[in-house]
Amino acid sequence: MATTTAAVTLTSDLLSDNISVTTDTTCMKGGTTADGLDQMDMGYIEIATGTNFDLLDADNALNKDKANKVYISNDSTDETYYVIITIDATVVGRLYAGDWMFIPWGAEDATADIEIQAYTGTNKISYAYFHEGRTLTSA
Amino acid sequence: MATTATVTLTSDISSGFGGITKTMTLTKAGTSNDITETTGFSRRKLAATAAVDLITMANELVEPNDNTAAKVYIKNIGNNGTIDKSQYVTISIGDTGGTTQEIGRLYGGDWLMMPVTVVDDMDVVAAPSTNDAVVLEYTMFFEEA
Repeated sequence: MATTTAAVTLTSDLLSDNISVTTDTTCMKGGTTADGLDQMDMGYIEIATGTNFDLLDADNALNKDKANKVYISNDSTDETYYVIITIDATVVGRLYAGDWMFIPWGAEDATADIEIQAYTGTNKISYAYFHEGRTLTSA
Repeated sequence: MATTATVTLTSDISSGFGGITKTMTLTKAGTSNDITETTGFSRRKLAATAAVDLITMANELVEPNDNTAAKVYIKNIGNNGTIDKSQYVTISIGDTGGTTQEIGRLYGGDWLMMPVTVVDDMDVVAAPSTNDAVVLEYTMFFEEA
């Protein structure tokens, strides 16, 4: 079984009793306890301003309603740079320079793409997508 | 007053994947100033498949500043110490009284960290896959309007 783990450590001193969370999970295929996600895509792209792009395309029957995981990091260094992450025309939020996100991705229908648009300047984006397989396009 | 989050991803799917470790300091939008507001750390037990607002943006006691650098952390911790990898909670963005957009399924033990707009009616919505009890731990960090 392929093994993919995702761990997070979250700390904050905003409260008088500090928040300190450390946890991890093994990324399994949807609904299973013995079979891990076994395929992945990853990349690094520079996104110019002015256009909303599909970062990950949900037009993919193999990955509909599964336990896919997506990691996106804004590797830009100028703190005023950011990207807006959208799923199917619904804005999820903004990733500023230095920010990252890690989410399950339902990809519940063909329009549920993960979209990304850069603001202020050309943003540098790293991403990784862990999944159960995707439909390959015939040559 | 810093808030930091470090992610570590490891995988043996591809021999060429060396893992990812990344730390972010949560800051106010467009600045290097630390983020200043949080909902605190909460937990909520759900025992029905009906969608509920986990975080209702319009009800925050400190009014969030829309479309900035807010982040949400959620973990499915199962129930009574038992984590069921076959059960999940669908996390969405929107309004339970209107339309929602699915983010994805949090299976037992899974967690997420994502940005949110904190715009009213762009709530964080949770819908369990079964009527079995499941507990979510969550917190949100945001800017004051």
